[in-house]
Amino acid sequence: MTVQSAKEFKTARRPRRRLSASLVITVIATSVLVLLAILAIFADWIAPYDPLKQNLIEALQSPSAAHWLGTDDLGRDVLSRLIHGCRIAVIAAAEATTIAVLLGVPIGLFIGYRGGWWDWVVMRTVEAIVSIPGIMVAIVIIAILGAGLHKAMIALGILYSTSFLRLARGVVLAEREEVYVRSARVIGASDGRILLRHIFPNIAPPLIVQVTLTVGAVLLSEAGLSFIGLGVQPPDASWGTMLNTAAAFMDLNWFLAIPPGIAIIVTVLSVNLLGDVIRDAVGRGIVVGVKPQTPAARFETFASVAADSPLPPRREDEVLRVEGLQVMVSSREGNEVPIITDLSLAIAKGETLGLVGESGSGKTLTGLAILGLMGAGVRTTHGSITLNGRELSSLTEKQMEKVRGNEVAMVFQDPTTSLNPAFTVGSQIAEVLLTKKGVSKKEAWERVVELIHRVGIPRPEERARAYPHELSGGMAQRVAIARALSCNPSLLIADEPTTALDVTVQQEILDLFRDLQEEFGMAMLFVTHDLAVAADVCDRISVMYAGEMVEMAPVDALFANPRHPYTRGLLRAMPHASDRNPPLPTIRGNVPRPGFWPAGCRFSNRCDFRIAACDTRVPLVGTDRLARCVRAGELAMEVAS
Amino acid sequence: MSENILLEINDLWVTYWRRSLLGLKGKPFHAVKGANLSIRPGETLGLVGESGSGKSSIANTVLGLVPATSGSIRFGDVELTSMRTHYPPAVRNQIQAVFQDPYSSLNPSMTVEDIVTEPLRVHTGMNRSERRTRAVELLELVSLSEEHLGRHPHQFSGGQRQRIAIASALALEPKLIVLDEPVSALDVSTQNQIINLLYERRDALGIAYLLIAHDLALVHHISDRIAVMYLGHIVEEGPSDRVYKAPAHPYTKALLDAVPLLDPEAQRRRRAARKSAPAIDAPRVSTTGCPYQNRCPSVMPRCQDAMPPAYPVNGGGTASCFLFDGGAVRHAPAIGETA
Repeated sequence: MTVQSAKEFKTARRPRRRLSASLVITVIATSVLVLLAILAIFADWIAPYDPLKQNLIEALQSPSAAHWLGTDDLGRDVLSRLIHGCRIAVIAAAEATTIAVLLGVPIGLFIGYRGGWWDWVVMRTVEAIVSIPGIMVAIVIIAILGAGLHKAMIALGILYSTSFLRLARGVVLAEREEVYVRSARVIGASDGRILLRHIFPNIAPPLIVQVTLTVGAVLLSEAGLSFIGLGVQPPDASWGTMLNTAAAFMDLNWFLAIPPGIAIIVTVLSVNLLGDVIRDAVGRGIVVGVKPQTPAARFETFASVAADSPLPPRREDEVLRVEGLQVMVSSREGNEVPIITDLSLAIAKGETLGLVGESGSGKTLTGLAILGLMGAGVRTTHGSITLNGRELSSLTEKQMEKVRGNEVAMVFQDPTTSLNPAFTVGSQIAEVLLTKKGVSKKEAWERVVELIHRVGIPRPEERARAYPHELSGGMAQRVAIARALSCNPSLLIADEPTTALDVTVQQEILDLFRDLQEEFGMAMLFVTHDLAVAADVCDRISVMYAGEMVEMAPVDALFANPRHPYTRGLLRAMPHASDRNPPLPTIRGNVPRPGFWPAGCRFSNRCDFRIAACDTRVPLVGTDRLARCVRAGELAMEVAS
Repeated sequence: MSENILLEINDLWVTYWRRSLLGLKGKPFHAVKGANLSIRPGETLGLVGESGSGKSSIANTVLGLVPATSGSIRFGDVELTSMRTHYPPAVRNQIQAVFQDPYSSLNPSMTVEDIVTEPLRVHTGMNRSERRTRAVELLELVSLSEEHLGRHPHQFSGGQRQRIAIASALALEPKLIVLDEPVSALDVSTQNQIINLLYERRDALGIAYLLIAHDLALVHHISDRIAVMYLGHIVEEGPSDRVYKAPAHPYTKALLDAVPLLDPEAQRRRRAARKSAPAIDAPRVSTTGCPYQNRCPSVMPRCQDAMPPAYPVNGGGTASCFLFDGGAVRHAPAIGETA
C-alpha cells in the first residue's frame, strides 16, 4: 500500500452496517460485564435481603413480589444470593486467570526461546497434565491444598496456565524464526529485549482470546467445583453452590436452577464476545499483508470501464479467446473495485502468449479467471471467455470441472506447494488420468512413467514412487508439468513457473516448455514478471499494467521497438539491460493499487511523456500490434530515428 | 596489507547437523567448505550462487547468527569466530544487515520510529528526542519523511519497507552491511530504486557491503568484486567487470549463459547451441574432487581426484579450476554466447 493511500483510507468513511453490528455486540457485552462488576462491588447495598438469612417458613417459594426470584430450600432470597454470587464469580475469574497468565506466559516465552532440555522437560510435564481430565487435576491440587474458593482458584490457575504456556511457546517458536527477530539479533538486542520488545507484542491478539476463553472456562469450572463441594463452601452464595442446591430440590422447585444458569451463560457469552471484538481491534493494527481499501474518488466509474479495445482477429486454429474481460474484487467496505478491465486476447494452437507485468497488474488473475478459479470476493462482471469455441461462462460448475485438467491445465509458481506432500508424485499424476480420462490403473501408471520420462526425469519408474520433498525444485516442477500435460490439454496456463527456480534450472524448464509445445501443440498462456523469460519462451507478449493491457506485440517487435512508455521503462530497468554503474534507470513511484488508478491513462502519474490528453481515458489502438498510449506513434518514431 | 582489510574470511567451514531422534547430533551437512574472502573498507563484494550454494550461510556466520564450525573471520582486529554468536556491542554496532523479504523483516507490531531507532536504543544513550531527530534524518536519507514515523509496516509497499530496513541498518553508521538478497522480492521498477539508494549511501558514508544475490547481472552493477559459490565452495573470485564479462570458471559461464536475455533472437541462437551441445552425463557427485565435475563440459580425469586450488586468472582474481593450472589461461568452451 502506498503512503498516500493510507492517508486517503483514514479519511474515508467506514460503512455503517459493519460498524453497527460490532457496536451492538460491544455495547451489550460491555453493559453485561459492567453490571456484573457493579453488582459484585455493591452487592451488600443492592441485594434486597441478606443472602445468608434463613427463613424456613418461606422455603422453596416461587417468584413473588417479595422475592422476585423466589427462595431456596432454607428460605434464603435467590435474587440476593445471585447478586452476591457475582462477587464470587468476579473474584474467581480474576484470580484464576491472573495466576494462569502470570504462570503460563513467562514460562512459555522462556522455554520457547531457549528450547533444548528446558523445553523438553516442561513440555512433557504439561502434556502429562493435559492428558488427564482438567477437573481431575483440579481435584488433585485441591486435595493437596484443601477446599475453599481461593485454593480452588489457585488449582484452576495452575491448570489453565498450561494453555497459556503452550500458546506463548507456540508463538515464540514461530516468531523466533521470523526475519525481524534475526534483524533484532543483528542489531545486538539481548535475548530478554528480543523476547519482551520484539516477540511479546505479537502474542497480544491470541493472548486476549485465550484470556476471554479462560475467564469463561473458569466461571464454569468454579461452578462445577462448587457444585461438587470443593469450591465455595456453604452457606456462602456462589452460582455453583446455588446450582448444587437447585439440583437437590429439582423435584420440588425446578425454577431454582434457572437464575444461576442464566447468569453463567450470559456472563460467559459476554466475555467471549467482548474478547472477539478486542482481538479484532488490536489485531487491526498489526495485521500483516494488505487490506482492500476504499476506492479513491479519482476513479470515476466503478461499475464498468468502456470496453474499447479492438477485438483480436478471428483465426481458424484459435484455442482461447477472451473478449472485454472485467473482473471486480469486493473490498472490505462492501463495495467493488475493478482489478482487470477491458481485456481482450486470443491464443492459437501451438502459440505462446506472454502476459507480463509487475505485481498488482492483474496478470495472475487473468489466468485464474480463465480457469474459473478466482477466490471468494472476486468475480467476472463483463466479457466472454471462449475455449475451443465453447463459451465458458455458460457452463455449469460440473462441466467446468471437466474442462479443468482436461482441456485446460495449469502449472503454478512453487512446485513444492502445488504438489501434495502426502502422496507420491506418480500417484498424483495418475489421479488426474483416472478421474479425467477414466483409464485403468495399470494403463494410468504406464502413462505416468512415460510422462515422467518425457519431462526429462531420469529413472522415471523409481521417481514416480518418490514423494515431492524427495525431489529438487526443478524436478518437482517437471513433475507438475507432467501432471498438467497428462490429459493433453489444448491450453496450458503457466503462472511464473520458473520464478522459484535457480537460473540454470530455469533455463532447462523453459527449454522443456518449448520442446513440449512442439510435440503436443498446445496453446500456452505464460504469465511472468520477467521480460527476459518472456523473450525466451513467448511468440507474442502482452504487457499488463494496473489491470489493463497497455501493449501487445510479436516478441521480436516488442523488444526491438517498445511503444508504450511503461514497456520501455521496464525494459530499461532490467538488470542486464544496461552495462553501467548506478544510478540505474528506474520508473518513479509505485504501481498504484486497485481503486487508486489515475483516471485516464493509469500510467500517467509515473510517465515522463505525460501530456494533457493523458488525463482522459486512453484506448488500446493498433492492428498487428497494440498500444494504449496517445503518444505511441511519436515514441515509435523517436526510437526509429 | 591487513590494516587495509575490513573483513577477512579464511578457510571458513559451516556445518549443520541433522538432529536424530534423541536430539543428538546426526549426519553433518557442510554448507560452506573452506571459503576465503576479504572485503576492504568501503568496498562492495558480491557473493553469487544458486540456492544451496552456501552464500546465505556465509552471511549468517558473519552476522553471528550461525556459529562457524572452523576457520576464521576477522573483522578489523577482532577474531569473530572465537566469540561464536556472542559478539560484543563494539562489534555488533559495526556490522548491520538488510534481509531479503521486506514483508517479514519488519516487526508488524512496531512503528517505523521504533524500528529505525531500535539500534540507537540498544547501543547509544540517546534520549527520546535525540533518537527522534536521528530517525527523521535517517528516513530522509532513504527518501522517506517525518510523517512516516508513526506508521506501521503494513502501511507501506515492498520498496518502502526495504527503505525502512536500510534506514535502520544505517542508524549506527556501521562499517559493514550484509545485504542478503535485498531486492529479489521487489518488482523490477522498484529494484533499481533500491540499488541506486544503496549505491548512493555507500559513496556518501564509505560503508562496505557484502551483497548476497543470485542474479549475477544485478550484482555486477553495484559490486567492486564478485565471488561465485557452488555447493559450499567459492569457485571464482575477481573484479566485477572481469567476472561478468570474461568469466573463467565453467560454472560462472554456465550461470551467465542461463540468464535470459532481452533479445529474442539471441535467445534462439543460444537455445540452438544448447541443443547441439553434447549432453553431459550426470552421475552421482563424486565425494572427492571438484564439486562441478558432473555438470562440467570441460571435465578432466584429474577433476575427480582433488578439489582444484584457486589459480590466478588473467584480468585479476582467481578460479578454482584445473583449466588454469600452471598459469596457462585456457578458456572453457562456451555454450552459446554471453551478452
